[in-house]
Amino acid sequence: MRELRFLLSLWKTNLAAAMEYRLAFIFQSIGMILNDGVYFLVWVIFFDRFKDVRGWELPDMFLVFGVSASAFGLVGMLFGNAFNLSEIIIGGRLDYYLSLPRPVLLHALASRVVPSGFGDFLYGFISYIASGKFTWDGLGRFILAVLLASAVFTAFLVIVQSLTFWMGTGGTFTQLAINAMVTFALYPITLFNQAAKVILFLVVPAAFMGAVPAGFVRGFSWSTLGLMTLAAAGFLSAAILLFHLGLRRYESGSAIQTEV
Amino acid sequence: MKKYLAILNINLLNSLAYPAELLTRSLMILLFMWIFYQLWGVTFAASGSDVLNGLSLRDTMWYLLLAETLELGRPRLARVISQQVKDGSIAYLLNKPYDFIIYQLSSGLGESLPRMGMLFLLGGALTWIMAGPPPDLVNWPLALIALTGAWLLHFCANALIGLAAFVAEEVAPFEWIYQKFTFVLGGMLIPLDFYPVWLQAVSKSLPFAYMMYGPARLFVRPDPALFAQIIIGQLVWLAVLGGLLALAYSRGLRRLAINGG
Repeated sequence: MRELRFLLSLWKTNLAAAMEYRLAFIFQSIGMILNDGVYFLVWVIFFDRFKDVRGWELPDMFLVFGVSASAFGLVGMLFGNAFNLSEIIIGGRLDYYLSLPRPVLLHALASRVVPSGFGDFLYGFISYIASGKFTWDGLGRFILAVLLASAVFTAFLVIVQSLTFWMGTGGTFTQLAINAMVTFALYPITLFNQAAKVILFLVVPAAFMGAVPAGFVRGFSWSTLGLMTLAAAGFLSAAILLFHLGLRRYESGSAIQTEV
Repeated sequence: MKKYLAILNINLLNSLAYPAELLTRSLMILLFMWIFYQLWGVTFAASGSDVLNGLSLRDTMWYLLLAETLELGRPRLARVISQQVKDGSIAYLLNKPYDFIIYQLSSGLGESLPRMGMLFLLGGALTWIMAGPPPDLVNWPLALIALTGAWLLHFCANALIGLAAFVAEEVAPFEWIYQKFTFVLGGMLIPLDFYPVWLQAVSKSLPFAYMMYGPARLFVRPDPALFAQIIIGQLVWLAVLGGLLALAYSRGLRRLAINGG
């Protein structure tokens, strides 16, 4: 409860800081909505010409894109530093979080907001409505699916970037991992064979950011909900464990730094 | 000219100084080409035909390879220039005895060449294994000429976006949307040949088709009429975008305010 209050005040401060540059904030959010919309046209053109990919049709793409965009945006809004944790580790900037009486990982992750994340988050809902599958109970499932997908995505980002503690570098590797996760999540899962699907569920868990939650939005299923919850809990636990194992290897740069 | 070659050379050496970094950055293309092969393999198999809209699966894959090489290998100049404008470091470049725009061109080219080479080598090896050998060597010179034109068009568009920092607080959204237009109207993810005829006409009346589709299409299925059409299109758009760039630069300099040193 105490940590939740702490998180809420951090998010409130982050939002106030982002709104300090109100015009840039609105411009980035609207820009991101347009960016996502234009990008999605590729799939509209593809399915106009080829109709389906092993049973996967345009409305499925709208759902997958919707869940993935909202999840991606939500992580940017709430845990913006999840995208540059490796830079923080390499730059010795964990010193600041270590010196304060709050959970290091949670504090570090939630200390930044990515303004364009709001655009991604909103676009996801637009995509869901445009899928033609909108219902009120479906909207409830959509929100739940986005929450669980963001948990898996955040955990994946932490796992990948915690490797920085051992590797010493990580920027390029992180970018590669993020690209892999997002790209796999945004392509029809029916394209991939069984071996590839094992990777998409266990190694680069893009299935839990795209196809699985999209399936849950289409229709409620206890087994899908259970699977998503298990994945979120499992990946989050692994992320926390790996980060704290890595933290033992962390060496301070002893640099004087200011965290704003 | 010599000084710009020296700038190109320095950036070339910089990029080559860390081969492991260059290699890791280029691994991205393996991921994209593998996914493209899954998508287009399934699509061609489902159609029951070896050739769709004049392209085979092999053509499509090599087309996508060239388009991806250009997209991933071009320098992100918009970000660099807008940062230089915003933090004032542009002042450091302006008081040197070279032209700011040509300096950016030389440094961008020096950064881009090794990256594009590595992307093409890695992606090409995988494409060869998955889809078959590359197009005939006689296609390569025409594609290379069109690739140069496409790179220059990207340069002009990116520099324009970067210089927009003189008037706009944030230029990143311009860059995102510009990139997505090259994806859609440039035919980067789907060759324009698969588009409805009306959309092909729209795409070819805009610069994006000459930035992506042109060189990639000439690489896999060259023909003299297409080559002439693409080169003329590139020259026209280079004149338009280059003119706009010169105008934006001169206007931007008038707005520049530098405080301190």
